[in-house]
Amino acid sequence: MEEHISNLVSADYTWCQFCPTFALVILAALLLLTDAFLPKLPKRSLAIVAALGCLGTAGYLIADSGAPLTLLGVIACGATALSIMLAFDYKKITCDSVAGGDCEEGTGEFYTLPLVACAGILCLLQARDLILLFVSLEVVTLSSYVLAGYFRRNQGSVEAGIKYLILGAMSTGLLVFGAAWYFGTTGSFLLSFDTVQRAISGGTAASNAVVGGFLMANALLFAGAFFKVGAVPMHLWIPDVYQGAPTPVSTFLAVASKTAGFAVLLILIAPWMPFIIPGITVARLFVTVFAVVAAATLLIGNLGALTQNNAKRLLGYSSIGQAGFILVFFITPSAATPVMTAGYLLAYALATTAVFYAIAMVRTQRGSEEIAAFRGLGKTNPRTAFLIVVALASLAGVPLTLGFIAKLNSFVVLVNSMSLWGNLLILLPIMILCAAAGFYYYFKIIRAMYWDAPRPEDSPLQVPPTTGIVLSLCAIGLIVLGTLPLLLNW
Amino acid sequence: MMQNLPWLFLLLPLLAAALDWVLFSKCSKTAATLSILSAAATLALCVAYLAGLNTGAPDVYTWMPVAEERLSLHLGLLTDPLAMRMMLVVTGIGLLVHIFSLGYMKGDTSNLSRYFAGLSIFMFSMSCIVLADNLAMTFIGWEMVGFSSYLLIGHWYHKASAADAAKKAFITNRVGDFGFLIGILLTLGVFGSMNFADMAGKAAGIPAALLTATVLCLFCGAVGKSAQFPLHVWLPDAMEGPTPVSALIHAATMVAAGVYMLVRLQIAMGHAAFTDTACAVIASVGAITAALAALIATQQDDIKRVLAYSTLSQLGYMVMAVGLLAGEAAMFHLYTHAWFKALLFLGAGAVIVCCHHEQNIWKMGGLAKRMPLTVLCFLMGTCALIAIPGFSGFFSKEAILDAALEHCPVFFWVGAGVAALTTFYMTRLCLVAFCGSARAHGAEQAHEAGASMLLPLLILAVMAIISGYGFIADALVPYAGFEAHGFAVGLPFYVSLGSLGLGLVAALLVYGCGKRSSDPLAGNALSAALRERLYIDEFYDKVLIGGVQAIIAHIIEFIDAAIIRGLCVQGSAWLTSRFGLLLSKLQGGSLRAYTFLSGLGLLVLIILLAFNF
Repeated sequence: MEEHISNLVSADYTWCQFCPTFALVILAALLLLTDAFLPKLPKRSLAIVAALGCLGTAGYLIADSGAPLTLLGVIACGATALSIMLAFDYKKITCDSVAGGDCEEGTGEFYTLPLVACAGILCLLQARDLILLFVSLEVVTLSSYVLAGYFRRNQGSVEAGIKYLILGAMSTGLLVFGAAWYFGTTGSFLLSFDTVQRAISGGTAASNAVVGGFLMANALLFAGAFFKVGAVPMHLWIPDVYQGAPTPVSTFLAVASKTAGFAVLLILIAPWMPFIIPGITVARLFVTVFAVVAAATLLIGNLGALTQNNAKRLLGYSSIGQAGFILVFFITPSAATPVMTAGYLLAYALATTAVFYAIAMVRTQRGSEEIAAFRGLGKTNPRTAFLIVVALASLAGVPLTLGFIAKLNSFVVLVNSMSLWGNLLILLPIMILCAAAGFYYYFKIIRAMYWDAPRPEDSPLQVPPTTGIVLSLCAIGLIVLGTLPLLLNW
Repeated sequence: MMQNLPWLFLLLPLLAAALDWVLFSKCSKTAATLSILSAAATLALCVAYLAGLNTGAPDVYTWMPVAEERLSLHLGLLTDPLAMRMMLVVTGIGLLVHIFSLGYMKGDTSNLSRYFAGLSIFMFSMSCIVLADNLAMTFIGWEMVGFSSYLLIGHWYHKASAADAAKKAFITNRVGDFGFLIGILLTLGVFGSMNFADMAGKAAGIPAALLTATVLCLFCGAVGKSAQFPLHVWLPDAMEGPTPVSALIHAATMVAAGVYMLVRLQIAMGHAAFTDTACAVIASVGAITAALAALIATQQDDIKRVLAYSTLSQLGYMVMAVGLLAGEAAMFHLYTHAWFKALLFLGAGAVIVCCHHEQNIWKMGGLAKRMPLTVLCFLMGTCALIAIPGFSGFFSKEAILDAALEHCPVFFWVGAGVAALTTFYMTRLCLVAFCGSARAHGAEQAHEAGASMLLPLLILAVMAIISGYGFIADALVPYAGFEAHGFAVGLPFYVSLGSLGLGLVAALLVYGCGKRSSDPLAGNALSAALRERLYIDEFYDKVLIGGVQAIIAHIIEFIDAAIIRGLCVQGSAWLTSRFGLLLSKLQGGSLRAYTFLSGLGLLVLIILLAFNF
């Protein structure tokens, strides 16, 4: 019996695969214990160790790399480290919103929980069956719930935490429900080519009901992944939660958690790839669904962003819109899809992290997250303003930035797949419209920085060292990789 | 690894510019040092290559891969003699100008880091043009030099005239660049490649009309960059920039890029590609520019403007030589001209600084006594420019005149006439500014320039004298296998001696020994016309820009306002923003609505995927 179950799940995992995961979990446990038993220790040291641990893991993964999915792990680790650094860069706010005043008590977990989530993401990348996929995804999600509502003295954060929890619970439910249907129709939790083939060809029962059930299972599983990446129809939580959650957590959700979502999606569709060829009915359905989702995500994300005035909310919509461009890779998945996705996510991660850092800086010193609060930065902080411009330009897809190459890839993939799936032509004008809309709403911040005069009381912003370094590195990365795209070996 | 050494020509100045801009924008000393170091390092590298260092062909980097190989954008470098010797001119004069700038800009209140960053970005762009192994990369460098020239002309941007001049230079160049871009695309279509190495021998099978169109479109780029008639108007205005910039960019290197590009193409495509029609047009444009500019120069009072028009006229010579299929002579003159014209400009810069930023020659006078060394250097440059036998300019001008006489005597006589005019206006300049007595307060207080200015002047003066002789020219003239042909005493020699004498005598008769306080030739219609630059600028302003362009602009404005802006942009913006508003309404913050909408969406998903086959 036991053997039977292990066959249903998967037997070909090795301990070795999970070394980075274990390392992060152990580190997180150690830090939590340190926090509990050495309350006098400044929390900053916890944050630094946590961030370094993440960066170290990222470094290990780069050296170890090979599989494109590992690249997603690198991005997730890097993004987690950056969110932790952002959190301790603005320690004062963290303390004030958690315990009130300058008291550091109870802020330790804020720096260690991202580690747990990151460990979950790394575990997830190794998953080839639904059980491990579900468990590791839940590790990510549960830590994120806590993080989103961590600022308990801040109403927005609490509201964000609750909204995220309830909508997240719904998506978890869908995922479990989907897994149940999956097991029911295939008799296995394995995400493998054989399973899909058995199910599509009707399995032993050889009936349409089995195929239908299998497809429904996949629809539910996809929906669970869509929640994480912020694709329509599971995108509704994003603007509210990004706006309400503490900025470091928004950064984590926007980058690391989204990367996890795309990893789930990649793992889910990997067994499908050989079947997505014209002439197979299932392929037509698959392509239709992803095309519809991509189109809706593009439209809702990019057009919704047009009317936003709050910078964090704007980034929320932007993250939906960018996910739409990534989803285009998934319409006709191929061996190149994981690499393309990783490349786009890298461009997105560098730029989005930079902008969140900028928002945190403006928010703390000008007291507002409105786009208008960026007024006159071009005059008062010309260099920082320029770095922000690079990040925004990359998000909008200005040539010579990495964002341009990423978006170009998205267009190229669509145009290439149009030769087999002619109907995808409809997506092209939508993508063009959405790319154009991007120029409008990202440049709203640039306009505020350069065209709006600073008010008399606006003194130049103090750029904290970490923020300065991260902004510069992100901008340099975007420009260098954007001018020399072959460095990435796409 | 070693074969990629030439990439340092591009990377070092780019790095210096980036550091100047980003890190050292507040400490100008470090910025200046960095820029000078990068220029010196590239010069050293260039000398090493000329001395025989051979690292093999540098790697070609595929920048933008396209499925069809010939359409991919490649970045590759050429290290042939043409490129490397041109690099010597660029980096050599570049380094001297960098050093000169230290003295010239001392006490200037503008941001010097910005200035040196501009110089470095210029060095990068110019190297990009010189070393490019394909037209796409040339074009990138082409636009980048335009950009850096814009930055440097407008360095004193708070001065309205400087800002306007920068704009004028940029926009005028854009006109030429349009043609150039079309020419590049035509080349890609006609020759099947943008790579210089792949163009050889393909001209034979191509219809003459197509070749003519291609070459003339490419020539448009040179007309803009090398300031040939009718796009010459930007160069005199560009003198609003700091004088060292004028020396480097608007005399010695950038403006010569057009000539360099044409010669490069002539070698790559072969003479067969330059059809008779194309050659006639190129040579005529060059000759017209040479003559017009020399005429206008005779009545200019601003020392830098005289030199600017003289540059135009000399560039006219070079373009004429290209049109006469004498690329060798063109490059020879480019090379000698670069040294002596840089010398003249830097000399003028020293004079200007020492006269407290006075540029009007009629407010100078008697400077020979107060700053003898500077004036002596300036005179060496003048001797080279007016082609006194034995100076470098003489040899290269003879080469062009010889070629003209051989191909088409009309151009020979135009060249001879321009030579006489050149002698006239340069003698006028020297007599008025350096002889006699000071006519203004600034000139009375003039004193010798400082060491950082004098040193470059002396080096350049030496080059102005000796660079034309065979032993040095053979090794340095940017042309593969160049040989200074022994010059024979013949018709061209006598004619140019005659025009030299004519110009000298005329100038001495009119201006005497610099005792006069105003120009005796002024006050008549001809002089007024020349002073007003033959009304060409005014014609552009009033007729082309104010008249023709305004009418077209009104029509386009109507189309733009009514159809594009009103219907398309604002209409679609209105529509999308309505849609956006609708979306925000859906995103009202109510949790129940969210779950409901998600559920609805999920239902659609399931129906699409599971109930549809």
